[in-house]
Amino acid sequence: MSYVADPESSILPLELRGIARAFGRRSILRGVDLRVGRGEIVGLMGANGAGKTTLFSIIAGLLCADGGTCRFADTDLEAGAVAIRARLAYVAHGPQLYPLLTARENLELAAQLRDAAGASSREAGGMLERLGLAAHADRRIEAFSRGMAQRASLARALAAAPELMLLDEPLTALDRDGQALVAEIMREERDRGAGIVLCSHDLETVLSVSDRVVLLEHGVISGEVRARECVDLHEYRRLVTNLGTVVSTRRVGAVRQMA
Amino acid sequence: MSLLRQAFLLARTDLRQELRDFEMAVTAVFFTFTVLIMFVLAFATLRPDAQSHAIPAFLWITVALTGALTLGRVFDRERETDALSALLVAPVERLAIYAAKLLTTMSVLLMCCIVVVPGLVVVFAGARPLLDRWPASLVLVFLGCLGYAGVGTLFAGGLARGRGKNVLLSLILYPLTMPVLLYALVATQRLLENHPDLWQTLLQMAALDVLLVVVAALLFESLMLESRRYSVPRKEVS
Repeated sequence: MSYVADPESSILPLELRGIARAFGRRSILRGVDLRVGRGEIVGLMGANGAGKTTLFSIIAGLLCADGGTCRFADTDLEAGAVAIRARLAYVAHGPQLYPLLTARENLELAAQLRDAAGASSREAGGMLERLGLAAHADRRIEAFSRGMAQRASLARALAAAPELMLLDEPLTALDRDGQALVAEIMREERDRGAGIVLCSHDLETVLSVSDRVVLLEHGVISGEVRARECVDLHEYRRLVTNLGTVVSTRRVGAVRQMA
Repeated sequence: MSLLRQAFLLARTDLRQELRDFEMAVTAVFFTFTVLIMFVLAFATLRPDAQSHAIPAFLWITVALTGALTLGRVFDRERETDALSALLVAPVERLAIYAAKLLTTMSVLLMCCIVVVPGLVVVFAGARPLLDRWPASLVLVFLGCLGYAGVGTLFAGGLARGRGKNVLLSLILYPLTMPVLLYALVATQRLLENHPDLWQTLLQMAALDVLLVVVAALLFESLMLESRRYSVPRKEVS
């Protein structure tokens, strides 16, 4: 593996400590600890309902945690200040775009809102072109396929040149070319210095771009594999595959030892 | 300046979308027409002196019903694709969202008043003073709509994500907007009677509006965020 980002030595853009969250009596997160360094891609895996989207919503400030702390660049994310929000981007499972506006208008609106807040943005046309939407920039989002809308959503996030990107299943509905393109863009963003948390069920893509993969299970991070600690990609794949299928804490421990 | 610019950008986005499908405007105006026709059919034969007592109620019942209809939909475009989440994560002042939605709701309500006030004047002879004293009528309609929309936008935002929002909105909206509606009723009655205290009543109404809008603006962020923060996150629909 060529990339060897080290979250211990890098300046941390994101640090979660003991994040807990319950809905009624159902406890979803029971103390999640996670650190994401600059220029690092962390793959977050877990079964359906494991709490990945809940965790992302807490980091993005859309949900509050019942316990624990969530800090970004040494600032408490709970405060949700405009200046902090200008430095992160969240691409959710759905596109979260205005359907009656064109792709260009959606990106320009986001850029103008950022500009009003004193934050700069990359040029909308260039971002749409990078995501392969140049020919469709002036079509309304409602006329887009799901995959195209997902690309437009990614273009909007990238236009913000964020320091931290939260990508919740960004590969949903993308074709193979689209997935390859997004993987390439994620590597570019990492090389630029952005921290990325990637949640996806597409193991191949998660493996190919992540510096480390963590497993969210039973409300905690129950296992972790770092790419640089593996001899080769084959071993990395084997370890993460095991990590993704473990069901008992004992087996997670075994995988940890293997890693 | 940042707040005003963002509010302007968001209001312009609402207007741009409205001009592309006319969903809120057409619904609200047709609803207003329907209510007006029902009042005409039911009360056209009233004596003029009886009409002048009923006209304030006709006007503000129409505004209240159309307002509830509009407020139920004012966050719909953001709700359908969860664009509201994107706004909340973006570096956007939450107050700008409130101001933009207030402006949108006000625009629709004023459009309905442009239909209902002349309609009442044409159909009911007792409503003629609304036209004769048009400056006072303009101020009255503006203040009434502002107070109603100010309170309504607060709760429309808070309920934007929940199920059964229309039921909850109605349950909360009508009791809380009652002071504004009562003031509007009294002011309209005084306008029709050419009462000497009309402008004083309008001034009191303006003070009430300022109070309501300021309180609503202060509560908007916490109400909207807390209602979301304590709800189950959903996987978004395409």
